[in-house]
Amino acid sequence: MNRQYPVSDEALIKAIKKGDRNAAAWLYNRHVDRVHRICYRIVLDTSQVQDCVQEVWLKVFRNIDRFQCNKSFAAWLNTVTANTAIDYYRKWIRHDNHVGSDEIRTVVTDANPGERKLDGAFIQKRIREALENISVNQRTAFILRYFEDLPIAEIAETLGCSEGAVRTHIRRSLLALRTKLAGKLIL
Amino acid sequence: MEEFKELFQDRFESQDELLREYKSFLSVLEQLDQTTVPELSSSQKAKIFKRSWQGRPQESSWILTWLYFFRKPAVAFALGIAIGCIFMSVVTSDRLDLVETASADQLLTVENTRYAQTYKGKIIDEFYPEFENPKIVLEKGEDSAQPQRALYGTLDNGEIYVVWNL
Repeated sequence: MNRQYPVSDEALIKAIKKGDRNAAAWLYNRHVDRVHRICYRIVLDTSQVQDCVQEVWLKVFRNIDRFQCNKSFAAWLNTVTANTAIDYYRKWIRHDNHVGSDEIRTVVTDANPGERKLDGAFIQKRIREALENISVNQRTAFILRYFEDLPIAEIAETLGCSEGAVRTHIRRSLLALRTKLAGKLIL
Repeated sequence: MEEFKELFQDRFESQDELLREYKSFLSVLEQLDQTTVPELSSSQKAKIFKRSWQGRPQESSWILTWLYFFRKPAVAFALGIAIGCIFMSVVTSDRLDLVETASADQLLTVENTRYAQTYKGKIIDEFYPEFENPKIVLEKGEDSAQPQRALYGTLDNGEIYVVWNL
C-alpha cells in the first residue's frame, strides 16, 4: 500500500512520534476517507459519524507510540477504526435508546417489492435499514469484507475472533440483507 | 462465486440450488454496489484533525521515553526479577542480629532507675575484659549516705556470677 506514496506510513509515524504535526497531517489525509467510510457504515448515522471519526484519530495519535513500525499501519488503523466504531455505536444506542436491535431479526418484507420503483435514495434507505438489523459485529465483518475488500484472516485479527466466526458473521449478514433487500424470508 | 460456495457449502444440496441462490444474492450485491458514503468536506476534515492532534498526550519526551522503555516485556521482566530479589533479601535477612550488633557497638549506655544507675557498653567491656557482660551499678542510698559501686558480670560462660564492690 505504501508503494504508491513517496513517503511511507512508517517514515511518517517516526516523524509523528517526534511531534511532527505536518507528518501527522499527511498521514491523516492519506487515511481519513477510509476511516470515515468504515465508521459511516458501522455507525449508520450521519450526525454521529464525525464524532466517531474524531474518536478514532484521537486514539491513533494518543497511541501512536505503541505502534510497532514492523507491522502494517493500515491493518492497525483498521483494527482501531472497527473497534472504536463498534464501541461508539453500542454506546450511542444505549445512550440514545435507539429503536433497533443488536440481534439478528427476521424481517417480513413487502408482498410485491418489485412493484416499487427502486430509486437511489430508496435503495440507500433499505440498505441502511437492512444493515441496522444485523448485529454490529456481523455488520463490521461484512463491511470490511465486502466494502473494504479485506481478507478473512485480517478481519479475524481486527475483530479478535476466529476465521470461522468471521465467515459465520458474513454469511448471516448476507442472509439478513437478502431477506431485507430481495424480499425473501430465509432466516 | 468461490467465496459464496465457501460460505454456503453446507447449506445447499445441489449445484443447481447453489447457483440459483447465488443469482439471488447477486441482486443484493448489485444494490450494495450502489450505496455511496457522503464525503467529509475539507473544513470538516481539518476540524477533526485539529481536535485529534490537540488531544494527544502532552507529556515531556523523557517521560514518554521512560514509559516506552518499561513497556518492553523483557525490561519489565528483568525489573520484576530485580525488585523481587531485593524484596526477598530484605524479608529473609536477620534484622534482629543487625539491631543487636548496632547496640553492642555502642560505647556506653546508662540506664537510670530510681535507686540505681547502670553503666554498660564497649568501654566497660574493654575495661574489664576478664568478665563476661560486665556492668557497673551505682546504687543510690539515703541522701547522706555514700553511693555504692559494684561490678556485675559472669565468668566461664555464665557459670559463675560475680559481684565486685568497687
